[in-house]
Amino acid sequence: MKKVMGLCNLYSPVSLGDLTSSRPIASTSFLGRYAMMDFTLSNFSNSDIDQVGILIKKEPRSILKHLGSTNVWNNNTKLGFELIMYDEKNANNPLYHHDLNNIKVNDWIIKREQPDFFVIAPVHIIYALDFRPVIAFHESHHQPITVLYTRIKDGKSQFLNGDILTVQQDRIIDMNVNQGLRSEVDVSMETYIISASMLDAMLSNAQSLSPFFGIKETIQALLKTTIVMGYRFSGYVKCFDSLSTYRLNSLELLNYTVRKKLFLPDLPIRTVTHDTPPAFYGVDANVSNSFIANGSHIEGTVINSVISRNVHIGKNARVENSIVFTDTVIGKDVMIKNVVIDKYVNISTMKKIQGTDEFPIYIKQGEKT
Amino acid sequence: MGTEIVAMLLAGGKGTRLEALTKKIAKPAVSYGGKYRIIDFPLSNCAHSGIDTVGVLTQYESVFLNTYIGNGEKWGLNGVRSLTATLPPRQTEDGASWYKGTADAIFQNLDFLDSMKPEYVLILSGDHIYKMNYRAMLNHHQQMNADLSVAVIEVPSSETSRFGMITIKDNGIIDKFEEKPTITKAKLASMGIYIFNFKTLKQVLIEDSHDEQSEHDFGKNIIQKLIMNKKKLIAYAFAGYWRDVGTIQSLWEANMDLLNPTIANEIFDDHLKVFSENINSVPQYIGSTALVTQSRINQGAIILGKVHKSIVFNDALIEEGATVTESVIMPGAIVEVGAVVKKAIIAPNTRVESKRVIDGSKAIVLVGG
Repeated sequence: MKKVMGLCNLYSPVSLGDLTSSRPIASTSFLGRYAMMDFTLSNFSNSDIDQVGILIKKEPRSILKHLGSTNVWNNNTKLGFELIMYDEKNANNPLYHHDLNNIKVNDWIIKREQPDFFVIAPVHIIYALDFRPVIAFHESHHQPITVLYTRIKDGKSQFLNGDILTVQQDRIIDMNVNQGLRSEVDVSMETYIISASMLDAMLSNAQSLSPFFGIKETIQALLKTTIVMGYRFSGYVKCFDSLSTYRLNSLELLNYTVRKKLFLPDLPIRTVTHDTPPAFYGVDANVSNSFIANGSHIEGTVINSVISRNVHIGKNARVENSIVFTDTVIGKDVMIKNVVIDKYVNISTMKKIQGTDEFPIYIKQGEKT
Repeated sequence: MGTEIVAMLLAGGKGTRLEALTKKIAKPAVSYGGKYRIIDFPLSNCAHSGIDTVGVLTQYESVFLNTYIGNGEKWGLNGVRSLTATLPPRQTEDGASWYKGTADAIFQNLDFLDSMKPEYVLILSGDHIYKMNYRAMLNHHQQMNADLSVAVIEVPSSETSRFGMITIKDNGIIDKFEEKPTITKAKLASMGIYIFNFKTLKQVLIEDSHDEQSEHDFGKNIIQKLIMNKKKLIAYAFAGYWRDVGTIQSLWEANMDLLNPTIANEIFDDHLKVFSENINSVPQYIGSTALVTQSRINQGAIILGKVHKSIVFNDALIEEGATVTESVIMPGAIVEVGAVVKKAIIAPNTRVESKRVIDGSKAIVLVGG
């Protein structure tokens, strides 16, 4: 059996606006229960990929906290690992601070484990997928690189600045930035299967045109000289690249037909437990079409929203189309609409906060008002 | 140097009065409170009391319980100075035998205790819901220079026939122990929580093992023997929440108690969390047709109907138009469209068919199991 190593790639330049001003997307809370990286790590776990490197770009604290002892995702807790890969040397030089250099700095693990293939997957593009059929596809074509992609019908608003692919007979011919000009496009899932010898060549610069090129730029440059295969995935894929997409993608999952495409019985999404008690609903609670996490205490009204752990929603309060992060208090009589509220916030004196679908309001961690 | 104190948790009982709930699992493994199993409580108490060596004595349907307990990781009892050992009956040089009573179960594991070289042994059962700091009880035991401490709680005179009743002198020294008396002046019930000096315990267990009249029971035999032997037995008064969950009625009541804010604050104290299994459930979803009031709902549950004054476990489904009142819906149970459930416990993975009416107003009903 061929050996596969997973690389969870945190190097994407996208941000979720203020939400990721002091934390990486990887550890950002999602659906009140997960961290974004849980999906990537669970995909590896569900694909029997037990040896995983995490390519950390910056702000490792919250990632290390979430990973803990990492036994949540590993099958064999001795043989398996979630290795922190960090590039201290280039951390302060943006030109050199890219994923390929990170792998180069930490290549001892590759030399030790000697995998045949690498699966490199981002954390800002979310999907649930068993990589094993993809690896079989990659192997059967005997080409060094396979890029996963998906066809979307809303290319004018989704995957903006993502990579539009031109695919002919499973081969990727071209890769261009999505400027939002066309609706139906094939977009890269920024997930790559790379054979060991190719990654080695990429690391030794033999296949790279520039020392400033990361994995994506290198693959783009290689399209002229190398056969790069494309594997089309037709399941649920969403790109999180702004505060607005974060909120809308989260709320879209309240819809059962959407939700069941991401949460598949055979591909469980694993995360750490916080041992919080079941959520409590008070005598006047009125919750509709919402996710509520354990530890929450709901006395008021919640509509079309995501409520995270240990959130307290007071009497006669109303939370609508919003996402509320852990340990936040929404006081009595407070009205919230189209707002993303970070952790440890307490809103009690300001009685009405309202954003719009396109421009949701964001409230910073720890604010008291 | 040995371990200061070792906990021995008696978890071998069937719990016959829980009817079909314990047909396939032992009583300590029965579900409680939306996300827990009964045994999570004493084990979490051990963790918070700094008691890190725990032997769990299993017998009835021991395979599931042994698997659930594992290495104690769920309660953090798997650290460098921790040990969680499951101790089912075993074959030895002297032959094989079942545990013939609570005292015999400990007697048969004296070699395990010897190897730990403890000064004290804490005896617990897996039958009750309560939060208790065993360390405080140990401190009291040491201050009193006792041979045996028995945790006691005041019970109404109508309930004395369910408990071992204790009479004390002014200084807390136990004067008399009566096993399940119908008429007595005693007000204090034994909680089945004992701290023994190991030397005293070992001596009395060996003595008891030679006694052919003995039922090898702590309440009936061991305490009486120690009183006769003029040992120093003291009562340790406990005033917190403590409930036996040995019958369908009492299990239901103990679940309903969690809707009482005072009791919930004690049981779900954030600093003394009840640890349990990490379940890979999606967040709980409350639909737009749902109405949830005065209830506790766990992650993974889907509520589309009406839920009032109830406890709903992970992965339970309450369909549209179904009504659940004053009931306990265990993991994976489904209440179908239009069904009505009142004052009932729905066993794990049980289906309440569409439009079925279950009414436990006269006596709490158990469905499934």
